Amino acid sequence: MEIDKEKCVGCGNCHAVCTMGVIYLDEDGKSAVNQDECVECNTCYRVLRNEGYPPWFVRILRKVLSTFRLGYLAEVDVCPTGALTPPELEWPRNLRAAFSDPTTIHAGTGIGGRGTEEIKSNDVTGRIRRGEAGIVVEMGRPGIGARFRDVEKVAMALAPLEPFFEPQNPVTHLMADPKTGKMKEEVLDEKVMSAIIEMKTRLERIPKILEALEKVGREVDTVISVGVSSKCLPDGSVPHEEWVRKAGYRLSPNGKTNLGMGRPFFKED
Amino acid sequence: MTNTLHRRGTPNSLKNDYVIFCTMAKGINSKGSGPKIQEFIRICLKYNPVNMGDGYLGNILQEDVGVQKFLADRADGEGAAAVFTDLDTLQKVIDELIRADLGISINVSGLLDEVQACCRKAGMERHSAEHSLGVWGAKDRLPERDILDVNTLCGHGMVSFNLIRKMVEHIQLRRLTPQKAANLMAQCCECGAFNPVRAEQLLEKMVRREG
Repeated sequence: MEIDKEKCVGCGNCHAVCTMGVIYLDEDGKSAVNQDECVECNTCYRVLRNEGYPPWFVRILRKVLSTFRLGYLAEVDVCPTGALTPPELEWPRNLRAAFSDPTTIHAGTGIGGRGTEEIKSNDVTGRIRRGEAGIVVEMGRPGIGARFRDVEKVAMALAPLEPFFEPQNPVTHLMADPKTGKMKEEVLDEKVMSAIIEMKTRLERIPKILEALEKVGREVDTVISVGVSSKCLPDGSVPHEEWVRKAGYRLSPNGKTNLGMGRPFFKED
Repeated sequence: MTNTLHRRGTPNSLKNDYVIFCTMAKGINSKGSGPKIQEFIRICLKYNPVNMGDGYLGNILQEDVGVQKFLADRADGEGAAAVFTDLDTLQKVIDELIRADLGISINVSGLLDEVQACCRKAGMERHSAEHSLGVWGAKDRLPERDILDVNTLCGHGMVSFNLIRKMVEHIQLRRLTPQKAANLMAQCCECGAFNPVRAEQLLEKMVRREG
């Protein structure tokens, strides 16, 4: 995101809305963006209504008010002068928007958001079958953001355990070699709101994968939200629960349930 | 489109937080899916969701979207999400979706045992399930738990930690009511998975705590 210094009146509303907390008041009394840390999520631009006031009007109003010892306090959800300006992004910086702005469609997968459909369409696609587990490793969530350098670190730690990295996932698209988890060199310094390493494996491999993940989790400078899924047995029980518990990890009481109302486009095993 | 898996909170506070959403399988059943998604939306709207949206159009709490536009502007291959605050209503929505037999994937995010009980009442077993294993890695970079409970109400993390703090301050200063603050935060969450009712309760709790 860029801020038009000619228009900005330094109200500071965009500072709080910024998902990464990287908009600040510059020495000139106007807001500025730390471009290295900005993930181009466009939340400030989308959420703060452009009131369209001429900057000179807001400045004069402020001066008049200050004469009477009154302050100018803009409504919390506006940019009074429309100073926020989304820039044209080029490769590889445009990856930031693709992984951070949910209204942006990933060029590779054709899907908005951060990942693919994982279990959400499992009743239709049969992506995760009996005996298999889906594992999603969301780097940077909640609220911290992640560099692809850290994403690579985790992918490379998991790759020797031979998970099947989901080919339709946007992170897999950025791997130079899915066998090693190595990412393309030019993307490593890019920072995104979050990026999901998505894979499937055999149920019995869950403990090894979680063990490797916990170990590499101590070496990265961000947070990781982890999810595990599987196709339920005919009695509705969840096969991965046993393997996660065996590995010594706690399962959340809440989660995602695919109700199975989709018409299958695959043959059951 | 939604990443509602990692919503945080005590089981008690999660009891009023259910997100139901439809998802198309790209390249498989997305073609011609527009009317089916529209029917999903129509059914959900009948039961007054506290929020509804998708990543492409935005959510119904946003001024430039609204219920009618959200229902009307449907194209193939887009999903939609609706938020309900009680199980009885969720049960009714599920029952009606079964009768509608849309043939598209329907998921619910919420307490897994409760959702399973809903499925059984409706006479079916769940197809697949996903658990969160929580947050790993550099957890020392995270803010306090209350802030995370609100932040994770948006699947894409678009409600910043600082905005939540600012909303608490504004409520304390009586510049905003908890309801207005919650609705303001809901504007940030494009796909409509944000639960403004639960957010309001969480904000009130934080304000009380900070006294």
